Amino acid sequence: MVELALPNNSVLKGGKDWAQAEAAGNYKSFKVYRWNPDDGKNPSLDTYHVDLDTCGPMVLDAIIKIKSEIDPTLTFRRSCREGICGSCAMNIDGTNTLACTKAIADVKGEVKIYPLPHLEVIKDLVPDLTNFYAQHASIEPWLKTTTVEPEKEWLQSPKERAKLDGLYECILCACCATSCPSYWWNGDRYLGPAILLQSYRWLIDSRDEATGERLDDLEDPFRLYRCHTIMNCAKACPKGLNPAKAIASIKQMMVERKY
Amino acid sequence: MSNNSNHDMRTPLSKVRGLGSAKDGTSHFWRQRLTGLANIPLALFFIYCIASVAGKSHADTLAFVANPIIAILLLLFVLSGVYHMKLGMQVIIEDYIHGEKIKILALILNLFFAAFIGMACVFSILKISFGG
Amino acid sequence: MAKSKAKAANLNLDAYEIIEHEYDVVVVGAGGAGLRATLGAAQAGLRTACISKVFPTRSHTVAAQGGVAASLGNMSPDNWKWHMYDTVKGSDWLGDQDAIEYLCRNAPKAVYELEHFGVPFSRTEDGKIYQRPFGGMMQNFGEGPEAQRTCAAADRTGHAMLHTLYGQSLRYDAEFFIEYFAIDLIMEDGECKGVVCINMDDGKIHVFRSHVAMMATGGYGRTFFSCTSAHTCTGDGNAMVLRAGLGLQDMEFVQFHPTGIYGAGCLITEGSRGEGGILINSEGERFMERYAPSAKDLASRDVVSRAMTIEIREGRGVGPDKDHIYLHLDHLDPALLAERLPGISESAKIFAGVDVNKEPIPVLPTVHYNMGGIPTNYHGEVINPTKDDANAIVPGLMAIGEAACVSVHGANRLGSNSLIDLVVFGRAAGMRAGETIKPNTPHAPLKEAGHEYALGRLDHARFKKGEFTTAEMRLRMQKTMQTNCAVFRDGPILEEGVKLINEIWQDASEISVTDKSLIWNSDLLECLEFDNLISQAVVTMEGANNRKESRGGHAREDFPDRNDKQWMKHTFVTTDDVKKKVKISYRPVHDFTMTDEIDYIKPKKRVY
Repeated sequence: MVELALPNNSVLKGGKDWAQAEAAGNYKSFKVYRWNPDDGKNPSLDTYHVDLDTCGPMVLDAIIKIKSEIDPTLTFRRSCREGICGSCAMNIDGTNTLACTKAIADVKGEVKIYPLPHLEVIKDLVPDLTNFYAQHASIEPWLKTTTVEPEKEWLQSPKERAKLDGLYECILCACCATSCPSYWWNGDRYLGPAILLQSYRWLIDSRDEATGERLDDLEDPFRLYRCHTIMNCAKACPKGLNPAKAIASIKQMMVERKY
Repeated sequence: MSNNSNHDMRTPLSKVRGLGSAKDGTSHFWRQRLTGLANIPLALFFIYCIASVAGKSHADTLAFVANPIIAILLLLFVLSGVYHMKLGMQVIIEDYIHGEKIKILALILNLFFAAFIGMACVFSILKISFGG
Repeated sequence: MAKSKAKAANLNLDAYEIIEHEYDVVVVGAGGAGLRATLGAAQAGLRTACISKVFPTRSHTVAAQGGVAASLGNMSPDNWKWHMYDTVKGSDWLGDQDAIEYLCRNAPKAVYELEHFGVPFSRTEDGKIYQRPFGGMMQNFGEGPEAQRTCAAADRTGHAMLHTLYGQSLRYDAEFFIEYFAIDLIMEDGECKGVVCINMDDGKIHVFRSHVAMMATGGYGRTFFSCTSAHTCTGDGNAMVLRAGLGLQDMEFVQFHPTGIYGAGCLITEGSRGEGGILINSEGERFMERYAPSAKDLASRDVVSRAMTIEIREGRGVGPDKDHIYLHLDHLDPALLAERLPGISESAKIFAGVDVNKEPIPVLPTVHYNMGGIPTNYHGEVINPTKDDANAIVPGLMAIGEAACVSVHGANRLGSNSLIDLVVFGRAAGMRAGETIKPNTPHAPLKEAGHEYALGRLDHARFKKGEFTTAEMRLRMQKTMQTNCAVFRDGPILEEGVKLINEIWQDASEISVTDKSLIWNSDLLECLEFDNLISQAVVTMEGANNRKESRGGHAREDFPDRNDKQWMKHTFVTTDDVKKKVKISYRPVHDFTMTDEIDYIKPKKRVY
């Protein structure tokens, strides 16, 4: 059966409260998931107190402040800090999102931060995305053409190009995939919303000449049809994209070519 | 990461590609939508039937079901409903049961169960219709 | 010198597991340039590895917005020679014109290639690649009118390019080593023999032997406090080159982008002005008309950044502290903003709380790009000048992208010339490797273990008990650079900056790392990154103090004019990381072009 409860060694146990001495300031508590692969202990939830008066507005600012000033061992991915690289995807206040574009002020009470759900954790907030990336590679995300390449560009009308809007902006942060129950239960075989959105980006590109082969590869009870239109993906996407809609469009293409 | 010798050492891409695409699933998807669509009027019709025979005698009920239009629509409801149930249950089994053997067994039982229920209903309606 | 230090320290190097690899080509960095070079080398049949400390699509190319310059002529008459003229003028004549010719000639081919790879460029009505105006891009050898030369995918061009290049690279037999951190080069007798890395996942040390190692490690924007650069822009390749005893070029030239969001520092593309956006001071004046009467808001970045700084200094800044400027887009058609500038509209909303349809965006010149870097020729081969040959190359080592100084950007880069730099020289480097290496050539054994120096540094950083944390040292450095090496630079302030930054460099050996783990030890890696940053900060400050003229991005208040007689030369700087000393020398600027088709463009006054 699918694992519906956490295995024993993954259950949260305890956690340190990094209480500071100073009283003045506008403090907010951050409860952060910690797991150290070296010590063999269960994961825990540590509490940090951050002075918001000396901190930037985003959750990432707070995490960086914690790492800089309180606990240098806190581990997480981050890079662009402006919501375009997709590194700092994590579960904040119960939602998968990017720490760099999530305002601290939008979280009422203490801020709970976990790694993206249902992935193996490497350390603290760093999950293992190997499978996700391999799935992305498996859809062959490049333009496929057989016609001899023109000397200049392939022509594409603005209308055809507009079909890529809402698709090509995906940053592969995996927020949507890891919010999808179907992906939780069958992430080994189901491609998940992010990768299917990427698939549709190539399927609908007017320049691509391999639409049929791409559909062949996707037509599978698991790869595509595990999508049960739960819509968590569209809710989670920090870029405001709608993977569920893209998946529905792929299903429509499947039906179109068959019937 | 575990160190045991049974650890899966395939490349990530090999794991993801697995046994390849089944090149199937669209008929399942299409039929589930189709039966789902058919079930809306058929279920309403079935509710109408229940309401019509509520409080009626056994003989009246038999006569009601024996009506050819009623019988045909009831047969359609049974076939569409049972097929929809089979398709839906299959998805749930595939979703939640991961052991290959037990999954196949569950899928077989699901099919047998649906076929049996379906046949039993069809037989009953026909029997009533043909006045057996 | 440096190598003996690690040995003498008697460190416990046996505690690390060493894994050795042999490749023809090892590319360090998986941004636009790194990916383009990786796939080029793989296409050429070379056994290629690409090492990156982040997953490729997280590289900072992803944040490039406005576009990629190439004289396609889709929207206005254009010619690569006009592009070349603009680039030379933009560089304030410090660019090497043979390299600039190579760049501009090959730009259209490189863009068409990107399009064939699948980049979702915006389109014109007749289905061609959409091109927008950008700063400093003109027709008719600078005479005007403005040229629409910058090919764009809305305002997410870098993102579209990087994702497409990553997808393409999956087609070829290149091996990716993702979340591997490159520590140092393996050098032997002045040749590069490979790269030493740590796998962040498990802490194992990987020694990559290579016939060519390519540094595609990007810029070092994070030496400054306020920058548009990602946290990962720490110029690791530049620092590795310095430690290898080689030199960096023109490091004093740091570009400030006129429109970083006030406070957050996030980038607002120059394309926003290309689409009609204007800068306004507290008096409601479009002040760029005074500073650049013909190009106005679309003057070169250094010019606009200086103008904004002067406005703020003279009390015409906006906001309660009068310390920034407004960028107005609210007079533009909302449909145009939605189609052409959706990304920055979103950024302005998130980071400045501004609806671009109704309000101006508060902006400030923000550190954005490093014109300087590892000196190379236009094939990407790294140069280490000798007494007889100012263009002598370092066997086995190449550099591309922002890490390199070819030099096509000279003293100031034009907007949208960086993305074209990535693909043109990434492609050139791949081809050069294909020409110079025979696939699967065996590697001669190293005279001594190649990894000891790198591993010594790693182990030293991991267990050193010092009095400072990485974060506080980094902040000291960033504040010093921000204060003492800003848009305008002045003698006494630079002198003070040199003193301060050297003190920080000395203190850098007194850092303590808290996390001792070998698995995803970001505390340790940030310490190594700081070590990389500080050496670059030092050579930047020293270079700025040394160059007694104003040119492009380097504006001296005490030397306000360009001085071609004395300073028409590249700064070439090396360091001694044991004695912590900087040595400055010079390389001549190439006063020749690549072919006879265009003559050397002679220096003249730079007016926009």
